[in-house]
Amino acid sequence: MWNWFYKLASPPYVFGVAAAFVPWLLGVAALTLGYGLIDGLAIAPPDYQQGDAFRMIYVHVPAAMLSLTVYVVMAAASAVALIWRIKVGHAVAAAAAPIGASFTILALVTGSLWGRPMWGTYWAWDPRLTSELILLFLYVGVMSLRSAFEDPSRGDRAAALLATVGVVNVPIVHFSVVWWNSLHQGATIVRLGAPKIAGSMLWPLLSMWVGFMLFFAAVLCIRLQGEVLNRERQAKWIREAIKP
Amino acid sequence: MRVGLWEAFGLIVRRELCLSFRRPDQLSQPLVFFLIVTTLFPLGLNLQLSLLRDMAPGVLWVAALLSSLLSLEALFKSDADDGTLEQLALSGQGLNVIVVAKTFAHWLVTGGALVLVSPVVGTALGIPVGAFATMMLSLGLGTLTLSWLGAIGAGLTVGLKRGNVLLSLIVLPLAMPLLIFGAAATDRAISGVSPAGALYFLAALCVFTCTLAPFAATVALRITLE
Amino acid sequence: MTANGFWSMGGYARYVWPCFAFAIVVLAWNLVSAHRYLAAARVRAARTMAMAAAEET
Repeated sequence: MWNWFYKLASPPYVFGVAAAFVPWLLGVAALTLGYGLIDGLAIAPPDYQQGDAFRMIYVHVPAAMLSLTVYVVMAAASAVALIWRIKVGHAVAAAAAPIGASFTILALVTGSLWGRPMWGTYWAWDPRLTSELILLFLYVGVMSLRSAFEDPSRGDRAAALLATVGVVNVPIVHFSVVWWNSLHQGATIVRLGAPKIAGSMLWPLLSMWVGFMLFFAAVLCIRLQGEVLNRERQAKWIREAIKP
Repeated sequence: MRVGLWEAFGLIVRRELCLSFRRPDQLSQPLVFFLIVTTLFPLGLNLQLSLLRDMAPGVLWVAALLSSLLSLEALFKSDADDGTLEQLALSGQGLNVIVVAKTFAHWLVTGGALVLVSPVVGTALGIPVGAFATMMLSLGLGTLTLSWLGAIGAGLTVGLKRGNVLLSLIVLPLAMPLLIFGAAATDRAISGVSPAGALYFLAALCVFTCTLAPFAATVALRITLE
Repeated sequence: MTANGFWSMGGYARYVWPCFAFAIVVLAWNLVSAHRYLAAARVRAARTMAMAAAEET
């Protein structure tokens, strides 16, 4: 029953699975993102306090949630690769890093644009914003460390260690609004108890979140194929894999 | 010949201290850097001492961070260059003990020295004498944590060509919480409020790092030494 | 929501629309960059295969 789990450690299997999943993931992502954008931009009612500006939530919150999720995926893949010496883990971590960094930048920029009309400032040295910025630096550090080594496998392992050490920042980002007096609002969805947002506003948000996740999975699969190819260039199965 | 854990620790610490004191100029460079950087802020900002006092904790901590980063590259570099590190790794004594001993000795001569010099710098920045105890305690805890974070970074980047810059890039994001709480503790002490909360948090960060970092630093060294 | 209200976003248009525009840019960059990475990896792998085949003969 767990055979499929063991197969995930095999580069040719992962290559094939990733290639097959991409069109499906992109298709469903397009549907959910499309619905989320239309409902969120045109149909959902304006907020009584923030007016139409609250609609920025539909890109800001999914981007921020993904920036944390992708880091956890990267750290988990890195830990698996380090502990059990499964090379595919390094490929997943290397593929996830630039995607996660781009989502972090998206979260910071959209948050900044949202902060200007709401808080009166583009930036504040607030625990949530500062820890998200630290997350961006951690992504950049992992990517720089990987490329600094001449021996790619040593670079993989060094970057994997750094990614695992840096995962400490993820709970700090999430709980920063609970532990400190923050300008940023508290947790609305990922919390114990009912969500603190109206249903008509919640559904497009959940749809955007799912859409972003599927999009991440699709882009990860594309990059993962590239990463596996780069690491397995000498292997025999490549000949068949890159035929078409 | 197998020696006990504490004996090995003591031997390596003594070796590191001997080597450090043999090069007094290398020992004093981070301290001089610390003094110079703290001087740059008042010169650049041209403030009165009373206004400088508001910025003093931040300035002090940034300067301490930067000067610690300068000295971190040397933690493993010279031993890696002449092959001693590999010999130590092969010695049969756990690499953990060696890493803990080297980092502790490094902290004594860098962070520890910084703490002793800090009253001088504190006076220059207008920090009142009543806040000195908190300042030195927070710097002590902070530099110890930083030495450990730096050990992980140094382990990962030893042997790289431009390792120094990458080391800073790796260590600084991890050290930011340190800066926030360390500066907050000193700030509270200056304004007369109890710094206990921030100091406890700093101590918690220190204990957390000192417990887990040795494992990470050892793995880092094994990755680079293989 | 009226067509006019949609574009002006209750007066917040100059924050909301750049926000969504930047989001589209980031998503597009992800797709394009990933495809280019895969294409480059394929080329490199094909080259390695060709070199290995040439060495065998």
